Amino acid sequence: MMRRTEAIAALAQARDGALSVAAMQAIMAWHAAGQAEFDHLDALGCMGSASSIGLGLALARPERKVLVLDGDGCLLMQLGSLVTIAAQAPANFYHVIFENGRYETSGNQALPGFGLFDLRQLALAAGYRAAWSIDEVAELRDALPRILGSPGPTLLRLAIAPDEPVTPWPRVTMKEQIEALRARFGVNDAHGEAP
Amino acid sequence: MSHEPAAATRSVARHSPARGLNPRALLEAIHSVGITHVITVPDTHQRTLLALLADIDDPALITACTEDEAIGIATGLYCGGAKPMLLIQNNGLYACLNTLKALPLDARVPTFMLIGEHGRDVALPSRDNADLSVRMLEPTLELWGISYSRLEQEDDIGNFQRAYRYCQHEGGPVAVLVGAPLGKALPEAQRGSQ
Repeated sequence: MMRRTEAIAALAQARDGALSVAAMQAIMAWHAAGQAEFDHLDALGCMGSASSIGLGLALARPERKVLVLDGDGCLLMQLGSLVTIAAQAPANFYHVIFENGRYETSGNQALPGFGLFDLRQLALAAGYRAAWSIDEVAELRDALPRILGSPGPTLLRLAIAPDEPVTPWPRVTMKEQIEALRARFGVNDAHGEAP
Repeated sequence: MSHEPAAATRSVARHSPARGLNPRALLEAIHSVGITHVITVPDTHQRTLLALLADIDDPALITACTEDEAIGIATGLYCGGAKPMLLIQNNGLYACLNTLKALPLDARVPTFMLIGEHGRDVALPSRDNADLSVRMLEPTLELWGISYSRLEQEDDIGNFQRAYRYCQHEGGPVAVLVGAPLGKALPEAQRGSQ
């Protein structure tokens, strides 16, 4: 089992220019690692939607890798998204699940069925091209180049130690992040004319 | 224009039954505004349009498992510079209100939605239907401050382009309500007789 901050540090080191989308407790950790200043979206107020947002990004920008930093409770909230993602089969899509068995943000309540479900197997059964399950950060560091160097869609389940929730949310709004991302792509002028 | 399209519709006081438009006319409208992706959780009213979309590559048709996913996918596509739209039904709108709140409303992502009024008695105005999923659609959209217009007569087709342009210009969600099952996808030569 690893701490979320350790996993975030390893992912930040391996990111290599990938676009990123973060959910819930991964958000502030990704910000703290200096990874949220550009080419990034926080999925705020829409628990479970990070992977769908990432899918849309991956389809719109097939030349860029997309790294989704998701939680186990988030994924369970929209579990069918595994099937939708697999059906689209974006080769540039990498879905990291921080699995701690808790709804950490709302006070560390236990997830239903924790210890019974297997997210790696669920991803493979849904049709993901690859799925990994990693418990230790050293193993994660070693495996990341191979994982991110192979075509997706890939799910990477990480065993994360329960922690106290980080309560502050980023000051930057999602609207601002979206405008910044579109500006990076040079598509901010795509707004329509007044009707 | 918070509810200008709706106000315009109500002022007409449509007591004439809603009619199904030709899906080819709707497909032409989709092409005319440059839609790149249609994300759907299928809708019964729009099944003939979905059949047309399934047979072509442009726009791409993406079927999602839930409307929450559909909004998320549309958001990601928009961020990447694509021009997506949603094709769903009234019950699906109710199913995704939290995501609708977070992405189209809070984050002001232009989210253009074709929404079928599943279960509607076409002889009655939407708000006079007994079915709650029909009767509550306009009030729900108004409660959330979502502009809407209607497609239920052949000459309503222009509402599609107008609503799309408004959505892109203003940001946020805009709905176009499909009041009756779309007609059969007649060959071009027979369209006038439908």
